[in-house]
Amino acid sequence: MLKLAGANKGLWRDVWKSGDLLYCFNCSTCISGCPASEADPPLLIRNLVRMVVLGLEDDLLEEDTPWLCVTCSRCEEMCPQDVKPFELVLAIRRWQCREDETRLPPVLPELYERGYTQAVEGGEMRKAVGLEKLANLSEFPDLLKKFRAMLMEIEIVKQNDYMFQVAE
Amino acid sequence: MRYGLFLGCNMPAYRPDVEKAIRVSMPALGVEMVDLEGYVCCPAFGTFASCDEIGHMAVSGWNLSIAEGKELDLMVECGSCYSSLKTAQEHMVQDAEAKAEVDRILAIAEKKYEGRATVRHVLDVLYHEVGLDTIRSSLKKTLEGLHAVVQYPCHTLFPSEVVGFDAPPARPHILGDLVEALGATVDHYSSEYLCCGGAGGFHRGAAHQARDFARRKFDAIARETKADLIVVSCITCLMFMDRVQLELSSGDGEYSIPVFDYNQILALCQGFDPQHVACISDVPRDSVCERIGSLGRGSQLSHREE
Repeated sequence: MLKLAGANKGLWRDVWKSGDLLYCFNCSTCISGCPASEADPPLLIRNLVRMVVLGLEDDLLEEDTPWLCVTCSRCEEMCPQDVKPFELVLAIRRWQCREDETRLPPVLPELYERGYTQAVEGGEMRKAVGLEKLANLSEFPDLLKKFRAMLMEIEIVKQNDYMFQVAE
Repeated sequence: MRYGLFLGCNMPAYRPDVEKAIRVSMPALGVEMVDLEGYVCCPAFGTFASCDEIGHMAVSGWNLSIAEGKELDLMVECGSCYSSLKTAQEHMVQDAEAKAEVDRILAIAEKKYEGRATVRHVLDVLYHEVGLDTIRSSLKKTLEGLHAVVQYPCHTLFPSEVVGFDAPPARPHILGDLVEALGATVDHYSSEYLCCGGAGGFHRGAAHQARDFARRKFDAIARETKADLIVVSCITCLMFMDRVQLELSSGDGEYSIPVFDYNQILALCQGFDPQHVACISDVPRDSVCERIGSLGRGSQLSHREE
């Protein structure tokens, strides 16, 4: 049975300033056609909506399933109530990151360091197909410095600045 | 026609043959591409969109401002990059307060985005700007006699009011039409419009179920079509649908349908060297490359040329 005594009734405002999710009538359209709804445990956006609306903060903080989303946005298209389920999944991830910094995507410091999630400059493979080495952000030291200064102004980066230390 | 070519991260790092294919096949159609020096990650949905909304808009704004500085729109192949940039752009239009904060953050980097530069997917450019006739007349070889199935990139379909250029969004046709313009027969199948399942955290967090999800699609292709090849137009679809067939083949059954990005198969038909435009894959593509190499121009096209 759900215990609502300790529920945070204002949770939905903390998670997402939009009230779109209050229109959810539990039809499950967001689940049918969702690849990650087949995961174990499954991503069931409808259930996440209930969790947010009922204010089940502790449960929501422990949910790993929002991170299974493939970002295809089919649910966003099909939702008959315009709840914007995909936007909600991202909003839940952001709320979790704000509440618990261990939720921050591990790739974030890498993005700060070099501007990309992968080594875009490439290596032998680029040469083999007749392409030059790609001029990445590190080739423009002034730009890279500006990029990092810009990121440092972003709230979540500012709050967790210890994660974003690089040798200049 | 000029666009700022937004490469993203995975294409230049892992599939430079797709980048090469775009760089040779588009100019052959009159599309000029300009490199966006100093571009950064789009940013991927798993990064800033998942932890700080303003951060998402600011990093996308950085990229958009580079193209805007050149008075160009961006052209993107990667579905996720396309959708991430488009979504950030849309949020900046919808939310004036957020846009003001993004402006402040961009100004720290001496950047400015006024909303002029927009984002186009390469399929959108090929279909709506270049057109099927121009594509047909650029071909030196065709896919005549080959059967193809297509995988539509979800990120270019949904939500249609933000990212869409195909209609109806749940029954798209553009990629199929583009493949038919190369002379192939496009076969349809029951799970044609389903996601490949390769993006985001599904495969990373639930590999077994993600493989089962993909297996159903490949089984449907095998059962319901005569596909010699799969054509995609998203680097994630390409890498996933290619690699997962190896993973599936280690169990029961054999999964080995070659997967091509559209610009790769286009470049091959335009006569470019497969060693440059289609040489990196898990499932061997030699059978298709050799077949195209030996085909020459189809009879219908030769006839038209006379």
